[in-house]
Amino acid sequence: MLAAAGIAAAGIALAAGAPASGAARRGGPVIRPATARQILAAVRAPGARAVVLNVWATWCVPCREEFPDVMRIVAAYRGRGLRPVLVSADFDDQVPAARRFLREQGVDFPSYLKSGDDMEFINALSPRWSGALPATFVYDGSGRLEYFHEGRVPPLDLERAVQRALGNIAGRKKGA
Amino acid sequence: MQLRVLDRWVFGFWTALAVMGGGPVKAQEAPPGLAPGDPAPMTDVKMKNVDGREISIADVQGTKGTLVIFSCNACPWAKAWEKRIVALGNTWHKKGVGVIVVNSNDPDKVAEDDYATMQKRAKQRGISYPYVVDATSDVARAFGAAHTPEAFLFGADGKLAYHGTIDDNAKEPGKVKTRYLEDALRAVAAGREVAVKETKALGCSIKFRPKA
Repeated sequence: MLAAAGIAAAGIALAAGAPASGAARRGGPVIRPATARQILAAVRAPGARAVVLNVWATWCVPCREEFPDVMRIVAAYRGRGLRPVLVSADFDDQVPAARRFLREQGVDFPSYLKSGDDMEFINALSPRWSGALPATFVYDGSGRLEYFHEGRVPPLDLERAVQRALGNIAGRKKGA
Repeated sequence: MQLRVLDRWVFGFWTALAVMGGGPVKAQEAPPGLAPGDPAPMTDVKMKNVDGREISIADVQGTKGTLVIFSCNACPWAKAWEKRIVALGNTWHKKGVGVIVVNSNDPDKVAEDDYATMQKRAKQRGISYPYVVDATSDVARAFGAAHTPEAFLFGADGKLAYHGTIDDNAKEPGKVKTRYLEDALRAVAAGREVAVKETKALGCSIKFRPKA
């Protein structure tokens, strides 16, 4: 119970996007190891009207290619309640390169390093996911998966999914 | 029987997680891969081997089974598993299981995945089974292969007996707990049913060539 609360608290703290320390900023934004459970806790932490979750890696060409588009959409909708959750699937020794890449891309919030068993991680995020990178998920504010794409995400599809996810909460509140 | 109960429990667990994780998924999904029991598609398509010969999956078919692995030169996961794949391939193709490794990546997208590097890598690693170019990426499409490395093992009856990853730890060979592919190879060679028929691992997406 306490462990679960701790995981949830960690998820909320990261999801809230607490600013990184000066030292951390110099090397790039903070990247913390997280299991699928912890990542889903960050997705479902209160306070977001929609969440975009992107699983990427430094060596993954389509990940690097799509990243500016993902960040552009994050920047455009963050003020309307979109929470970005970035998960690096790099190996441990590639973390410095991952932090450098995030800094170059203007990421100013903490993110995650995938931890734990691959199969458990993949299936927890979506049984439909083969495990290929990149993978992008959009959730509405209640944590319901609105959109999933593996491979380089089409920016227009992603933006429409974010708009739908943001609209879902408004729609539900209206109908409630 | 116990396995069937376990399968149901596992299916139920993941289904519950999926429902918790969300409702309808409206976007493009990964292409559906082959299901256990399916035959291999496009087995007569000739593909250029690192030795210059044109070889099809049918050409390498073994008396005890056939292993098709989609892999490449550049992907860090393929590199991490490379020595283990070579060891399995070199061992099992001598034991009656046909082995072929297929590179479906477009070298225009990842230069290191070109034919010359395949030849160099095959020589460096002492690969004694075919390592071939899927020149249209259509073989990967037909299998529903999505990433590298991804293994498809067919039994002597030609039906898919195992699909998935090599083992449960790409990065640290010394910490592997379950050797999924090797276990499946042993079962297939012995004519037994494979206990774990499908597994997953993270990997590089296949860099498909444009459709003709």
